[in-house]
Amino acid sequence: MSRLLGLVVAASLLASPLRSQDSLMVRLRRQADSLLGSWREAQTLADVADSLEQVRATAGSDTIAVRGLRIVVNPSPLPWRQAAELAWPVIDSFYGSAAEDLPRHPYIFRAVDPDSNVRRTVLHVGVELPWDLDVRASTNVLLTTVTAPSFDAALADWLGAALRPTLRPQDERAAVFMQLVTVPSAAVRGCFLGDIARCKDVLQVGDSTGLLERWYVTPAEREALVIESFEFLFARGATAPTLQSCRQHHDDACTALLQSLPPGTLPPPLGRSARILLVREALRAGGRDAYRRLVARPSAPIGERLASAAGMDIDSLVVRWRNDVRAARPKPLDLPWWAGFAAIGWTAFFGLCALRSSRWRL
Amino acid sequence: MASLKRWLAVGLTACFVLALAYLPPRGAESSGKSPFVGQPLWGTPARQHAQALADEWRKVDAAVRLLEDRQRVTRDSLRASPTIVFRGATLPPKDVHNVETVMDSVWRDLGLGETKVRVTLVIELQRPYSSDTPTPLQDRVAYLAPDSTHRTTCLAYLPAGPYWTLFILGKRHEGFGRFAQWLEAGLGPCAFYAAYGTPGRSVESWLVARHWDVGLYLGSHGIAGERFSSLDLLGNPSSSWYYWDGVYSFPPATVACLAGRPSGCRAAVLAGAAEERTIPIPNVVLVERRWWRVQNLLPGERYLGDVARAVGRERFLNFWTTALSVDTALAGTLKRPVGEWTAEWQRGFVHPIRLGPTPPLGGVAIALAIAVLAVVLVSVTASRRQVR
Repeated sequence: MSRLLGLVVAASLLASPLRSQDSLMVRLRRQADSLLGSWREAQTLADVADSLEQVRATAGSDTIAVRGLRIVVNPSPLPWRQAAELAWPVIDSFYGSAAEDLPRHPYIFRAVDPDSNVRRTVLHVGVELPWDLDVRASTNVLLTTVTAPSFDAALADWLGAALRPTLRPQDERAAVFMQLVTVPSAAVRGCFLGDIARCKDVLQVGDSTGLLERWYVTPAEREALVIESFEFLFARGATAPTLQSCRQHHDDACTALLQSLPPGTLPPPLGRSARILLVREALRAGGRDAYRRLVARPSAPIGERLASAAGMDIDSLVVRWRNDVRAARPKPLDLPWWAGFAAIGWTAFFGLCALRSSRWRL
Repeated sequence: MASLKRWLAVGLTACFVLALAYLPPRGAESSGKSPFVGQPLWGTPARQHAQALADEWRKVDAAVRLLEDRQRVTRDSLRASPTIVFRGATLPPKDVHNVETVMDSVWRDLGLGETKVRVTLVIELQRPYSSDTPTPLQDRVAYLAPDSTHRTTCLAYLPAGPYWTLFILGKRHEGFGRFAQWLEAGLGPCAFYAAYGTPGRSVESWLVARHWDVGLYLGSHGIAGERFSSLDLLGNPSSSWYYWDGVYSFPPATVACLAGRPSGCRAAVLAGAAEERTIPIPNVVLVERRWWRVQNLLPGERYLGDVARAVGRERFLNFWTTALSVDTALAGTLKRPVGEWTAEWQRGFVHPIRLGPTPPLGGVAIALAIAVLAVVLVSVTASRRQVR
C-alpha cells in the first residue's frame, strides 16, 4: 500500500511541471483570444475612424470629377480641372479598361500656403500641396499620384517603382537608349546589338538562375562591380585578402565576394526605367485590356505576365521594346556648312588677341 | 548726425534688398522643387491602436506556437544537429533532406555535435493568411529558451520570407552559400544553449535584459555573409550624413565605444547587468525587427561568440555558469578590464571614429588669417586714435 502511495506521489510530482506548462498554454491562448477579440473590435473602430477622418479631411472640400478622375480638394487657386482634363487621356490610355476602377480611389489633396510657418493639423488622409502650382505641375501631380489599379507586390518588386503613366515617354526612351549604349556591360551591349536572350537577362524576365554571371558576364565587369560598389564592405576583416586578390584580377575571388552578398543586393546593370518601358510597351501592344491581364495573375512569373498583357510571346515583346528604344536614338547635332568656318575664325581671332596682349610681349 | 542718417539709409536699403531677394511676391514661378509638402501621413489614432494590438497578439501567438511546437515535436535521435520542422507547407522528403544536409554542415562548422540542450528549428514558410486575424509573426525571429519544464530543448522560430520560401521549395536555385549562413544566423541564442548549456542566473538575467543582443550569433563569420555585420549596415563613413545619422542614433556609451573609449565600451557591454531580473516563463526571446538599430554594442551580435573563441571553452564556461556578477566574471574570464578588451575587439572591425568637431585644415587657416587681420586692423586703428 505504501509503495503504491509512493508511486502516485512520485508520478504527480513528475507531472506537475507539465501541468504548469498546460496551464501556461491555456493562459496564453486565452490571452491571445482576448487580444484577437480586442483587435477585431479595434479594427472595426479604426475603419469607422478612418472613414470619419476621410469625411473630416474632405469637409468643406470640392469634388472635381473629370471622366474617371475624382479629386477632392479644399478651395484654392490650383487649376485642378484643367490639369485633370490634361491627365485623363494619358491615364486612360495607360490603364485602359482598368481605369474604370479609378473613381473608387479618389485623390484627396490639401492645398497649403507654401510660405507659411503656421502649424498645420496632423494629416491622416490625402496629400499636401502648395497652392501656387501651375497647370503643368498640377497635371504632373495627378499623373504621379494616381493609384495604379490592383498593383501587386510581385510586380512592384520587379519594377522597383510604381507603375504610372508619364507625360514624357520620349524622354524615358531616350534615357534607356543612353543606358544601352553607355553602360559598361557586355550583357547590355549584347542586348543593344540584338541578342534577345541578353535583353531578357538584363531585364530579368526569363530564367533567373545564376544572375551574377548573366548580368556581369566578363571578369572585368565583376571586378569593377566589386571595386566600385562594394569595396567598402569587403575592405576589412576576413574578406580583405579576397578583395586584394580580386584587385589583382583573380576572377574567382571577385565572384566569391559577389556571391556572398545578401539576396537582392546585386545591382542590375540596367536601371529601372528600362523595365518600366518594357511594361509600357506591353500595355501599348496589348490594347485596352492589357493592364487587366497584367495584374490578373500576381503569382505568375513576370515574363508570362508581360507576354499575356502584350498578347504576344515574351521574345517578340522584348524585340519590340528594343526597337522602340533604338528608335529613340538622340538626333545627331546638325551643323550648317558655315559653322566650321565660323568656329575656326573665332578661334583665330581670339588667338591673335591673345598673342597681341602685353603679357606675351614681356 | 548726418553720418548717422547715412548709415541708417544704407541699413534700410540693405534690408530692402534682402527682403526683395528672399521674399518672392505672390505668383512667382515654382522653384522646380517637389510639389509635395513634407508632412508624413499618420494613421488615425484608432488605426495605430489596432496595429499595436495586432503587434501584441503576434507576440503572444508566437509564444503559444513555440510552446505547442515544443510539446509536439519528436526528436530525430539519429541526428545530432537540430531537428527541423516546416510550417506552412508540406515538403517532399527530398527538399527536407536537402535542408537537413545544409543544417548538418552548419552544425559541424559551429563545432557542435551531440549536445545536452537540443535545438529544434521551426521554419515558417510564407503563405497567405486569412484577413480575420492579424498576420502572424513573419518578420521577426523568436526563440523559446529551456526552462524548468523542458530543460534540454531550445526552439528557434525562423520565418522564411518570400526569398527563402522559394529556395526551400526548390523554385529558386541561386544562393546556396547564403542559405547556410541564414540557417546559422537563425540558430541565434539556441546555438549558445547547445554549446554551453543554460547560463547562470546573473548571465541569463543580463542577456534577457538586453534581448540577447550580444549573443545573437555564435559563428565566426558575419551574421549575414562572410563578414557582413551590423556595423556594415551603418553604411560608408564617406557618405557623411547617413553614416553619422546612424552613429548618433545609438546610446552615448555605444558611440563612445565606437570612438575607442574603454569606459564607453565597458558601459555598453554591461548595460542591463546591474539589474537582477526575473527570468520570464516561458522565456521567449523575440528579436527586434531592426535589431541592428537597437544594439548597445556594435557589432554586438557576435560579441559573446568572439569572447568564447578568444578565451577558450573552459574559461568561457566558467563565465557562462558563474554565480558572480557579470562584470566580475567577464573581467576574470578575459583577464583584462572589460572596457579595454572590448575597445580592442571593436578596433578589429572599425577604426575608432573621431568625435567632436573636425574642421578642415584650409578652413582653420582661413579663420585664423581673418582673426589675425581683424586683430591687426583693430590694433592699428587703436594706435592711431587721438583724443582731442
